[in-house]
Amino acid sequence: MKKFEYLKPTTLEEVFSLLEEHGEKAKLIAGGTDVVIMIKKKQLAPDYVISLNNVAGLDNIAETNGVLRIGSMVRHRALENSPLIREKYTALYDATSVLGSVQIRNIATIGGNICTSAPSADTAPPLLALDAQVVIKGGSGERVVPLTNFYLGAGKNVLAPGEVVTEFEAPKALLSAASAYYKLSRRAALDLPIIGVAVYLRLSKDHSCCEDARIALGVCAPIPIRALEAETLLKGSPADNETFERAGEAAAREAKPRDSVRGAEWYRRDMVRVLVPRMARRCVERIKSQCKE
Amino acid sequence: MKKRISFTLNGTLVEKEVEESAMLLEVLRDDFELTGAREGCGQGECGACTVIIDRKAVTSCIYPVMEAEGKEVFTIEGLLGKNNELHPLQQSFLDNAGVQCGFCTSGMIMAAKALLQENPHPTEEEIRHGIAGNICRCTGYVQIVESIKKASEAVSK
Amino acid sequence: MEELFVGKSFPRVDKDKVTGRARYINEIKLPRMLYGKIFYSEYAHARIRRIDTSKAEKLPGVRAVLTGASIPEVRVGFIGDQVPLKKDKVRQYRDEVAAVAAIDPDIAEEAVSLIEVEYEELPAVFDPMEALQDGAPLIHEFDARGKPRRNNILPLPWKLETGEVDKARAASAYVVKDRFTTTWVHQCCMGTSGCIAEFDLNNNLIIHSQTNVPFGGKDRLDMFLANLGIKGTTRVLTPVVGGSFGSKLDTDIYEYIAVLLAWETKCPVKILFSREEEFKACPPRQPIIADIEQGCDKEGRLTFRNVEMILDNGAYTSWGATTPSVMMVPISSLYRVPNVRYKATCVYTNNIYCQAMRGYGNPEATFPVECSMDQLAEKAGIDPMEFRQINANVPNETSPMGLKITTCPLKECLSAVKEELHWKDKQGKRNGRGVGLGSLIHVGGGARVYLSDGQGIILKVDDAGNVVVITGGTDQGQGSETVIKQMVAEAIGFKPENVFIVTGDTDICPWDVGTHASRHLFITGHAVIAVCEDAKKKILALAAKIMPGEIRGIFAKQAKQDPDFTIPDLDYSVVSDPNNLDIRNGIVFPKNDPDNKHCQVPAVRILRKAHMVGNGKGEMVMSEVFYDPPNEMLNRDGKGNLSCTYTFGAHGVEVEVDRETGQVKILNYIAAHDVGRAINPMLIEGQIYGAVYMGAGYGLTEEIKVVKGKVMNPDFLDYKILTAEDRIPIKPIIIEPYDPEGPFGAKGIGEPACVPSAPAIANAVYDAVGVRIKDLPITPEKVLAALKEKEQNK
Repeated sequence: MKKFEYLKPTTLEEVFSLLEEHGEKAKLIAGGTDVVIMIKKKQLAPDYVISLNNVAGLDNIAETNGVLRIGSMVRHRALENSPLIREKYTALYDATSVLGSVQIRNIATIGGNICTSAPSADTAPPLLALDAQVVIKGGSGERVVPLTNFYLGAGKNVLAPGEVVTEFEAPKALLSAASAYYKLSRRAALDLPIIGVAVYLRLSKDHSCCEDARIALGVCAPIPIRALEAETLLKGSPADNETFERAGEAAAREAKPRDSVRGAEWYRRDMVRVLVPRMARRCVERIKSQCKE
Repeated sequence: MKKRISFTLNGTLVEKEVEESAMLLEVLRDDFELTGAREGCGQGECGACTVIIDRKAVTSCIYPVMEAEGKEVFTIEGLLGKNNELHPLQQSFLDNAGVQCGFCTSGMIMAAKALLQENPHPTEEEIRHGIAGNICRCTGYVQIVESIKKASEAVSK
Repeated sequence: MEELFVGKSFPRVDKDKVTGRARYINEIKLPRMLYGKIFYSEYAHARIRRIDTSKAEKLPGVRAVLTGASIPEVRVGFIGDQVPLKKDKVRQYRDEVAAVAAIDPDIAEEAVSLIEVEYEELPAVFDPMEALQDGAPLIHEFDARGKPRRNNILPLPWKLETGEVDKARAASAYVVKDRFTTTWVHQCCMGTSGCIAEFDLNNNLIIHSQTNVPFGGKDRLDMFLANLGIKGTTRVLTPVVGGSFGSKLDTDIYEYIAVLLAWETKCPVKILFSREEEFKACPPRQPIIADIEQGCDKEGRLTFRNVEMILDNGAYTSWGATTPSVMMVPISSLYRVPNVRYKATCVYTNNIYCQAMRGYGNPEATFPVECSMDQLAEKAGIDPMEFRQINANVPNETSPMGLKITTCPLKECLSAVKEELHWKDKQGKRNGRGVGLGSLIHVGGGARVYLSDGQGIILKVDDAGNVVVITGGTDQGQGSETVIKQMVAEAIGFKPENVFIVTGDTDICPWDVGTHASRHLFITGHAVIAVCEDAKKKILALAAKIMPGEIRGIFAKQAKQDPDFTIPDLDYSVVSDPNNLDIRNGIVFPKNDPDNKHCQVPAVRILRKAHMVGNGKGEMVMSEVFYDPPNEMLNRDGKGNLSCTYTFGAHGVEVEVDRETGQVKILNYIAAHDVGRAINPMLIEGQIYGAVYMGAGYGLTEEIKVVKGKVMNPDFLDYKILTAEDRIPIKPIIIEPYDPEGPFGAKGIGEPACVPSAPAIANAVYDAVGVRIKDLPITPEKVLAALKEKEQNK
């Protein structure tokens, strides 16, 4: 493997200054489960690897002032083990409990998963379904970008050189809403998804009608996408199987999957149609159960 | 480039000059001659290299060695007692045939150790979830799960 | 007398493996050792125009760069159709074109990246059916003797014919015909391929090799050295290996390359595959295209079976091309079929070539046979379980192929599956859940694949009371050390902790043909029984001479120490007749008075006394045996009693099919196995669990995706081995008919449990949702596509 210098800044300011100093010769590393493999495969050849693992303040999970905040350096395992995430932002629990393996989840971070920007990232559809925003900090200040606008293409995002994702924000969970994520894969662990489907539903007080809906799809396009037409179909419609199935069909039309070693285009598209209603039904079950408590 | 690193290895504070771009697995095997952790794939996809860092199971083949600084690292060699007494997990893997060719075994036992530290009485489902990142080609996992279950019962006694 | 060790679930003895101390090839380091790396072809079929290794040679730390041009051309391989470093053309993506030896692996890798090769691409062929056509590109223009070749068909026309198939077909009440296909799957040993080669100053080769056929490997390497003009002999040392599953039965190209680099550099050279190389350059299981036809009479009795196969041989030949010799076993003898015709053609293509993998063709062949059985049962209107029972093999019959079946509890295996799976309640519902069946026949008493199927054992008993068994057999991880200790302890009468096994050195260990064909326990067991019988005789002969005096001495000592002690009046004749003595747990005792404490003497005392005589008449106990079993080689017609005994089994699987996603979930898996006798039940279960997972992977998730000759998924991310969380609820049922041919009644078990899994799953899927997937693996996409097609055709 190519040799490089491994730098361990302890503050964001240090990170920015190192990024500026080394420019294109440097690569940021979080958990490393993507970056290390890319270096091993010779897809990346940095002279300097800048670690975010020793910068304080990037790994908190908290609900404050009506907002869920997840630090970019939060490990997937922390999300999997967090009662808050499991109970109230369940799609993210669904994703992080099946991502890779326990060993991977102990190292890999949600920030790394999003910033590598592979269309197969398991945390992307849940975050999209939870209407997440990305908090970006750089030498020149801070900006917040909705996750829907974060991606530019497979492996590409809006981060400018010298910028670092520090946090994800999402609106606080509601009792009348729930989320669910399904990772379609051939095995129960260690796989990348064939497709990933996340659904967020907010129901009326009597649970008969969908007041708000978000559907996010992974590996159905070069970037993780929202199925906006399917969402429109759901909003204001009865929360029943017929509606959910029509939403599935609409989402399948919006999806733009392709053939790859991991799955066929026709199958991916058909599974969007099948899995969207299943996840919608799961959201309804979750809402009913959390309202009982 | 060589850089100095200091961390706790199997309970002992160690200090060494290591290649800063190396992964922890190579450093353990080559610099510390702890060859229990093995490379099955080099990409974190099989778990044969699993060690425990700060009580968490980690695939050392993709773990940058410089991140071990100041941390507590445990390898399979750290399970053996001062007089070569086997840890209950190690004994259980022999008693219940959790080991066949043995190549995955170091990583498997360390993943199990981390699991039992967090959850001393796991159900079968929890055990399988905890070792899902450890591929075994020989055993079909059944006797591995039994070994871990029986060890958890022995440890609690 | 009750057996002490055989039949007990002894724990594994390998402490080294659970403490991280076991030494695989990865750990072995020799002084002055260099690291070898191979440069692989970048085309599937091309002429090599120019190789420029100058940059690689100049890299500091590089000690040698070899190409086909820099070495004598020596042919290797089963039919001599390849050379270690390819010179004029490349025939597959993984062709070895150059090799580097350097002082560390990183430098070796960098040197390989500096090698430049100019190719002239040639039209390639990746479909064996296409490769058969006239005018298809010739993969090999000449054969091993330099004769021009006319086509891509290998000179290995596999054929077996028994009875009169055409007549039988005409007389059948029901006939089915269909095509089934399987693809490449990989052994995926957790320890990758690797070896260390070095020459001593007398030009002898010492190779640390993971081979399971050390003496076969030695033969091949001896011949290689001779052909290179090197006057030396080979010593093969085998370390602990991280699995084998059939991948270590040939001498691989990388081993020849390591030898060449070692010769060139006069240093030890280690080559160790990365996981990517393991997938791309370690030959996998043989794929097949099988056209199968079967018929039965009105009562459901099989009348004939006709199978024609095309084998994609890839670019060169290893054991994949010989799998038909084993495929003949299930094709001719799984169930009682009076008329059989089998024909297999191996075809060169520009794909990767294949070697053996667990089952050696049996899983490949049992897939079409057992799926077709279900089709035939359906046509005849007979329940698939009952259909098997009607046609099940029975004990003490010789199959048309000449296999002399001894014990055969196939019917019991089927009944066990029927009961445990609740077959009657679950079969035939077509409601998304279904049950399916697959049986197996495999060699269980060795296999005369080569002229010798033997194994030698040298045994010595030292005067510290330890038994050392030196055997040419090797371990793959299955626990042979544990089981051999049990059998030796039982046979010679010592405790297992006083038994030591020495293996892994062709200079020290007597000859053994190899750990293959599930033969290790069977053959070693017989050799152990024979050699221990001899050793025990010798010990007891010594005991008969020494015991009377020894006992008298003990009494005298006691009388001296204790004045109240009266010396018992013993009949010393019972301990001076060797025929009246036996050993148990290391204690010699008289058979007619086993519990008499006065007549029990530890064997170690006898051995010491026999050795330390002081007058030139000292004796030590040593025994040796070479056991070659009474089985036969197949004759030119493919017939003969290949094995001493045959093992049977039946798998029953219950599945649930998600009709919207095509996903198949295994709800229940019953694996009933005829093991003859379970020497160690716990270890047998381990073989069953492991092989079932491998078979389930073969059936559902595993495939090497080869596109235009290129392996597209050479890693564990995209080659899907089932994880611990992909739980299959398996119930193993061990059936012990105690075979008279087997040591302690035992038969082999290493391979059988991966043989019927794929067809059992395929049959269960059909039972669940009415679609039959005839191409492995049975992926959700295939199931869903078949369901949609079925829906459309309604």
